[in-house]
Amino acid sequence: MSVFQIFLQQLLNGLTIGSVYALIALGYTMVYGIIQLINFAHGEIFMVGGYIGLTVLVISSGLPIAASPLFLIVVLIAAALGCALLGFCIERVAYRPLRRAPKLSVLITAIGVSFFLQNAVMIGYGAQDQYVPNPLPMAAWGKGGITVTPLQLLIFAVSIALMIGLQLIVYATPLGRAMRASAQDPLAARLMGIPVDKVIAVTFAIGSALAGVGGVLFGSYYSTINFHDGYLIGLKAFTAAVLGGIGNIPGAMLGGLLLGLIEGLGAGYVSTQWKNVIAFAVLVLVLLLRPRGLLGERVAERA
Amino acid sequence: MIDAKVHTPSVRSALVAAVAFLFLAGCGKPEAVVRIGFVGPLTGDQAAHGVDMLHGAQLALEQAQQAGEILRGYKVELVSLDDQRSPAQAVAAAKRLAADPNVLAVVGHLNSSCTKPASAIYNEARILHINPVSSNPDISRQGFNNFYRICATDDLQGPAGARFAIERLGAKKIFVIDDMTTYGRGLATEFIKAAKGLNAEVVGHEGITLGEKDFTPLLTKIKSERADLIYFAGMFPEAALLIKQRFELGVPAAFVSGDGTFEVNLIRLATPQAAEGVYVTALGADVHQIPTAKEFIDAFEARFHHLGSYSSYAYEATRIAVEAIRRAGKNDRSAVLAAMKEMKEYRGILGVHRFDARGDTTLRTIGIYAVRDGKFQFLEAVD
Amino acid sequence: MIRKIAPFLLILLLLPLFDSNSYRVDVLCTAALYALLAIGLNLIVGFAGLLHLGYAAFFAIGAYTYALLNLRVGCPFWIGLPIAAFSAGVAGVLLGLPVIRVRGDYLAIVTLGFGEIVRVTVTNLEDWTGGPNGLLGIAHPVVGSYNFGVDSKPYYLLLVVLVSIVAWACTRMARSRIGLAWMAIREDELAAACSGIDTARFKLLALGLGGGIAGLAGCVFAAKQGTITPDSFDFILSVMVLAMVILGGLGSVGGAVLGAVVLSLAPELLRSFSTYRMLLFGIVMVLLIRYRPQGFLGASEIRRELKGGHGSA
Repeated sequence: MSVFQIFLQQLLNGLTIGSVYALIALGYTMVYGIIQLINFAHGEIFMVGGYIGLTVLVISSGLPIAASPLFLIVVLIAAALGCALLGFCIERVAYRPLRRAPKLSVLITAIGVSFFLQNAVMIGYGAQDQYVPNPLPMAAWGKGGITVTPLQLLIFAVSIALMIGLQLIVYATPLGRAMRASAQDPLAARLMGIPVDKVIAVTFAIGSALAGVGGVLFGSYYSTINFHDGYLIGLKAFTAAVLGGIGNIPGAMLGGLLLGLIEGLGAGYVSTQWKNVIAFAVLVLVLLLRPRGLLGERVAERA
Repeated sequence: MIDAKVHTPSVRSALVAAVAFLFLAGCGKPEAVVRIGFVGPLTGDQAAHGVDMLHGAQLALEQAQQAGEILRGYKVELVSLDDQRSPAQAVAAAKRLAADPNVLAVVGHLNSSCTKPASAIYNEARILHINPVSSNPDISRQGFNNFYRICATDDLQGPAGARFAIERLGAKKIFVIDDMTTYGRGLATEFIKAAKGLNAEVVGHEGITLGEKDFTPLLTKIKSERADLIYFAGMFPEAALLIKQRFELGVPAAFVSGDGTFEVNLIRLATPQAAEGVYVTALGADVHQIPTAKEFIDAFEARFHHLGSYSSYAYEATRIAVEAIRRAGKNDRSAVLAAMKEMKEYRGILGVHRFDARGDTTLRTIGIYAVRDGKFQFLEAVD
Repeated sequence: MIRKIAPFLLILLLLPLFDSNSYRVDVLCTAALYALLAIGLNLIVGFAGLLHLGYAAFFAIGAYTYALLNLRVGCPFWIGLPIAAFSAGVAGVLLGLPVIRVRGDYLAIVTLGFGEIVRVTVTNLEDWTGGPNGLLGIAHPVVGSYNFGVDSKPYYLLLVVLVSIVAWACTRMARSRIGLAWMAIREDELAAACSGIDTARFKLLALGLGGGIAGLAGCVFAAKQGTITPDSFDFILSVMVLAMVILGGLGSVGGAVLGAVVLSLAPELLRSFSTYRMLLFGIVMVLLIRYRPQGFLGASEIRRELKGGHGSA
């Protein structure tokens, strides 16, 4: 393998996980854009998505339709719906009552919710890694020393499709307009007759659905999931969101891919041990040196 | 006044309330029970191993109790604690056992990184400590005369793996990966020493963090180094992912790993397709081929269905602990220790154990297995 | 009235020294360690209003400082104690310098990031720190010819003394001009700065002192355990101490101790709930912030600050 081929392969590795980060980062960025909350529990929603996917796969393992690769679409939809519901409930129960409270309180609440979810799953499914059956055939398609698996291609395809879909919703639908308005100036939006509370709920739902999809893809890609995955991946996705510019949807996508690349290249060329330090260092450096992120943040003006 | 109601006495009264409550909450009375402690990872990602071992210990005690009274006037119990593969929890569990005066012996732990710090506590408390499967050689080199071990150690396993890899598989360029634990790092070091002695080239040595899932960058690097063999010193959760991703990336190197990966879940998590042709070294010959173990296997499978890789060791260790207590004849830790020392040899299901000056058994074999058709297949044993 | 019952309080506090069940005394030691940590974090979060999610890092720095000094150069405990506190305090200031100008919620995440960086770095530098296996064989404190050993009682006494001294010092500080400055910064930073308070200096002071207290605790922890591993210093610990501070009441020293005692003893007393422990933690935190953000002993203005109204930091 030539140096260039190795580089391409590492690039591929990094972009795969980067796509997952991007999906999750979108949820963070949308929520922050609209109510300035770092939804600490978002990583847990991602993790729950993975477990929903696992449950669906396990329950349906006897059925004939489950053997078809298209069944994965069913699994993704199930996870998306389940997580949308979960996100909606969390917003209603935990965050809405604290709408006017300082961010400190809400952040602490979010941490509490995160702990709750993590441990609920741990109690339900056990603390060990759960095996996720791979819905696609195991194969490695290679050319010139670089290999890619069907699952990797699927991850790219799904992520790109969802990101394009989200952009369409935000920029080409009335809902999207309402979302942008609420993000820009909630008071004015309310005065214009936009039901801001409902918009916020929908934002949470959409963001959570994306995270759920990310969870299923992640679980399938690594073929194991653990209740603890949400914490680390959540932090990294948040890093990605800030890297791109919080509140900025294309920023989240860019940030996700970029972070995946940095991590993958760091792990390949430096060492796998230090991978997480590199990711955390990016987080800290961005927050300290350029909190606006690469593409600039888009949050409401604070009165 | 602006400041909150803050009194120094309220600080004290908080602690006091706690103290009083705890104090009153449990003034116990002595019971006629004697306990054998068992510690292992009963939850967490090593739970498969830990629970297997617990079953072995339970079976051992049950059979011993059925055979007759162990200690006159006392009931013998097994108290099991969970260390979750974490050294900090292992130390906490060890302290709990040490604080209970009715605990006369301890069987445990699984991971060398847990056994090593815990052994110091058992030593200070003068409890008989029999270790079933922790293979790091340093544990018995601490000079603790209450420590006994019934399995082979990594200064044998590493070289055995190296010889197999180089002489049988013909490897010339080897990449070593370990999980940075006491066990993993220790085993990797032994392997590398032996490999260099056999004139093979170690093209790389990297550590991975426990719980890591993405090894694609590392495996890509290994592919580019054109290594013909990967040696992994660690446990099965990480090994499974390494094996699966190695297959997906099309890395042509062979794969050999240590006893921590000798678990059926390895094949399941990695998928049988990817795990085909993987080799594993284990801390003993195939228990199915030892004639003295047959009765044990039948009894175990009747009770617990699935015989794990380490069940027989935990069983053996517990039987030895019971024997030591029986010979001691009284509820006294030093008597148990003395009885153990007196016991020159023990005829168990794995063979005849004789313990050397450091407490290691002289019964030391390394078994080599291959993964074929989704199952472990025993190849050979080396001494 | 307080003065009259003080001698009885003292006797009750010293009772465990005569307890034959060493496991119980050990549990109380853990409670006292957490109390120390809670008082320290309370300085940062409760007094100065900086939401810090990486407090475990200072605990770790204190523990590893003593452990390394002891194992490499044979430094005895009593000399290691102030050094550990000092190095953790310095770390608090150094890690705080870049961070104090960052706004509230980002501050929390940055401190989380720092905490994790410290932990993973410690785990990776095996040659220095023993890596994930940690450091073994750390010496116990020795007084004259008496070695503390593995008996929990002398540690309990030491910790009670330390907690009392630190609590007393923090209470005095809270009533002093420093305490007033912190309160001003916490309530409305902009106004405080406009009143001429050097917010940066006071924030760093809180971080330094808070870090130093954690360093004290870390040193005692290392000496007591004899073994330390990085997994004792994770994010969960940081959150637990935060929960203790909030439960007891932000800004209240006595509250911090109470919160620490309650949350560290509860799992022991409710053995059957041990699997649900973290779950309950989560629920308790959510409910607390919602219905009683000032915790047990917090002041009413904390309730105002946390429930809503003017935004802070």
